[in-house]
Amino acid sequence: MNYRKIFNNLGIILLVEAALMILPVIVAIIYREKTVLHFLVTMGFLAATGALFTHMKPQKESIYAREGYVIVALAWLLMSLFGALPFFLSGSIPNYMDAFFETVSGFTTTGSTILSDIESLPRSILFWRAFTHFIGGMGILVFVIAIIPKAEGQAIHIMRAEVPGPTVGKLVSKIKASARILYAIYIGMTAVLVMLLYFGPSHMPIFESITNAFATAGTGGFCVLNNSIEGYHSHYAEIVIGIFMMLFGVNFNLYYLILKKRAGQALKDEELRWYLSTVAVATLIIGLDLMFTKFSPADAFRLSFFQVSSIISTTGFSSTDFDIWPTLSKVILVLLMFIGGCSGSTGGGMKVSRIAVVFKSSARSIRKAVNPRSVETIKLNGRPVDEETVNGIIGYFAMFVLLTAFSVFIVSFEGKGLDTSSTAVFACINNVGPGLAGVGPSGNFSHFSLLSKAVLSFDMLAGRLELIPVFMFFTRYIIPRKTS
Amino acid sequence: MNIIIVGMGKLGMTLTSQLSGENHDVVVVDINGSVVTNTVDSYDVMGICGNGSTVEILREAGAKKAKLLIACTGSDELNILCCTFAKNLGTEYTIARVRNPDYATQTQFLREKIGINMIVNPEYETANEISRIIRFPSVASLDSFARGKVEMARIVLHSDNPLCDMQISEIRKKFKANVIICAVQRGNSVYIPGGKFELKREDSINITGTRTEISTFLKQTGVYKHRIKNVMIIGGGKIGFYLSELLSDTSRNIKLIDSDPARCHDLTNALTDVSIICGDGTDQAILDEQGLDNQDALVALTGIDEENIVVSLYAESKNVKKVIAKVNRHSYSILNNIGLETLVSPQNVAGSLVTRYVRALENSSGSANIQTLYKLVGGKIEAAEFVVPQNWAHNDETIKEMNLKSNLIVACIIRNGKVIYPNGDDCINSGDNVVIVTAGNSIKELHDIFKLG
Repeated sequence: MNYRKIFNNLGIILLVEAALMILPVIVAIIYREKTVLHFLVTMGFLAATGALFTHMKPQKESIYAREGYVIVALAWLLMSLFGALPFFLSGSIPNYMDAFFETVSGFTTTGSTILSDIESLPRSILFWRAFTHFIGGMGILVFVIAIIPKAEGQAIHIMRAEVPGPTVGKLVSKIKASARILYAIYIGMTAVLVMLLYFGPSHMPIFESITNAFATAGTGGFCVLNNSIEGYHSHYAEIVIGIFMMLFGVNFNLYYLILKKRAGQALKDEELRWYLSTVAVATLIIGLDLMFTKFSPADAFRLSFFQVSSIISTTGFSSTDFDIWPTLSKVILVLLMFIGGCSGSTGGGMKVSRIAVVFKSSARSIRKAVNPRSVETIKLNGRPVDEETVNGIIGYFAMFVLLTAFSVFIVSFEGKGLDTSSTAVFACINNVGPGLAGVGPSGNFSHFSLLSKAVLSFDMLAGRLELIPVFMFFTRYIIPRKTS
Repeated sequence: MNIIIVGMGKLGMTLTSQLSGENHDVVVVDINGSVVTNTVDSYDVMGICGNGSTVEILREAGAKKAKLLIACTGSDELNILCCTFAKNLGTEYTIARVRNPDYATQTQFLREKIGINMIVNPEYETANEISRIIRFPSVASLDSFARGKVEMARIVLHSDNPLCDMQISEIRKKFKANVIICAVQRGNSVYIPGGKFELKREDSINITGTRTEISTFLKQTGVYKHRIKNVMIIGGGKIGFYLSELLSDTSRNIKLIDSDPARCHDLTNALTDVSIICGDGTDQAILDEQGLDNQDALVALTGIDEENIVVSLYAESKNVKKVIAKVNRHSYSILNNIGLETLVSPQNVAGSLVTRYVRALENSSGSANIQTLYKLVGGKIEAAEFVVPQNWAHNDETIKEMNLKSNLIVACIIRNGKVIYPNGDDCINSGDNVVIVTAGNSIKELHDIFKLG
């Protein structure tokens, strides 16, 4: 295990986080807030630790999958530990565990909050809160690969560990170029959204246009208003954000294809088709369900589309308190949480392609049981998926379910309602944000015990990093067995 | 440059490693998915799994915009097909590996009518390199510049060599021969020696000079080996065949041993003035029986690296003057320590040829052209020959005055057909051919020898 290289990389990440904190400092200066000091102190800690770590010059440069996972897991943990300091030091979140929870929720683009009165916080703090979504969405390690001048081919292991999806490929030959293209598309789309919100008929102030765009781009869901997007009372904002949430849940490789004038190939992508059909069907069913309650058809489908888009992309914005919706609608939303966005997007959940493979694999098992001599391969986009990948996906599904079950078990020790306890876990592990009942759009996560918050933080990291980097630490490949 | 490499065999992997390291945009194609994944994991390249000789895969790999496609699958026919399709799809240059001797005679046709720009025959090139070493046996390896006027030889310093423990500046004074010691390999590190550098036992040094000067130098230092007359070749494969052809003339006795009777039959039909022996060349009893004691040189060319190594060690123990072994996996640098001086690897030979071609393509925009290029010592040393262009800004500037990069030496200047061994007071002028040797730098054009800024 190339420890020196791991520490060296971690040092670089911390230094980058320190540099990125300049933006909230600028915001604090603009709005003349005292938090300038707190951010600078945090930047100091980050820079010092980062410099210390980067002093470890690696003796050999080679890293493999193992190192990739360790770097990603430790980077995200350290990032969150340090990133919580501004919240804690400024008194915005006086309890450090709460601050850590909020920061993890930020970076993992979950969007679950322990705050009850968001609007009273300083602007720079709210800016940092939303900015963590933006950083975590496309990934800080991908960002580092894009900006560091010295490119290495084996950085693919790091990229594979951080970018979600069953298989991660490059867009072009050089990994640095691939990372840059991804970030360019990401920043470009965010900028377009900012303009649409600011210059559009919603009259959203510039500060909120930017923070909401950050939260949409990373599919995070932190809003500066206490009642999320509902607070803007703007159908325009809801539709624009609704569409963009859905767009950020699409595989960014497809956007690259569109840029390369191969839009036809992009639109034929099987995962995209599953994703869009799911959105369409879910919107339809929920819309109809809402119509049979007191909603008008226009409202029903508008609210339905926004919420479906928000949940499946795992953003977590709410344009209404969906906790009061009929049971069918709520159940569909919970199922959508687990499906999640497409691989290679900023969305969470298990990812559409994995769910598709799980379904196909189950169908195949049934057919094979009926006719044992039959031979079938699972195909995606017309190309066969090799058995190793299929097994990986089914294994992932199993691990995900087991972790969810175990987490619900631990959280239930507190004795809160079944819907609160379970949807809290569902919302965190799928990086969605709001759940139902006590953690619904009108609730928050502050009332959980320290143990539950710790478990939920773990779930958020596990979900965002797709289980392996976090679980690795429990295997003996990382912790060397003591040989006597 | 956009480069496509089809076929991730040994040659394909060697090329991928070298070319991706030189900052080209490389796409690799192979029919085996796990091989592709492995390559993408190890090098900064893009991978496509599929049959590289189909138009569909070539299109996906970007043949239309690619500057160069190198086809090195296991099949000559597929390679030729692949290049033909790629050329038609728009690839500018194509290189095919073709090993079958039947096709080898048609290289001109392939170049002119089919449009394949370069044919690489690793076995033939390896045989060529071995024959050069046999013709100049005192050295461990030999490369030539300026159309053969200048050679670079590598020798290993054994304990009885007077050069051990001498500084470079002393060597110049003591041995009057006009050669430049331009690179030294010690263990895993490579040095470009200055005047105060002291040579030690088991160092491997590269010297540049004309053939005669090098021979004189070697005679003076007592390393000179006399002409090789009796050559024993173990293994009648393609390399053995080509080598026998290249070496056979009346002044040499060549014995070729192969264990397959049918193969021996074909060889004896195809070769003249070569004795063909049917037997197991790795069996020491047979080697003794066939007179290993009397041989001046033994070349081990079986298909198995380990057998070649064992046979070579046996031959060294019998004091055969020159022992050459073919080793495919050239990562066996430890072999130098057990006394095997001369190892040839077909991949490296072919790889150097292709790299040279790629460099030449890069420079085809005009400026100081690379004439020849060698990557030695596993790629750690680069020796390149340039033509100094007409618009050279440093005419009449002495080497001492030039702000040259570290780890770089001007090994030789050829002016008007005369070879100059430069010391600090010589100049590099327009129209000269100059040979630069460097460790760790990549000199793409002559201006790269200067420090930046």
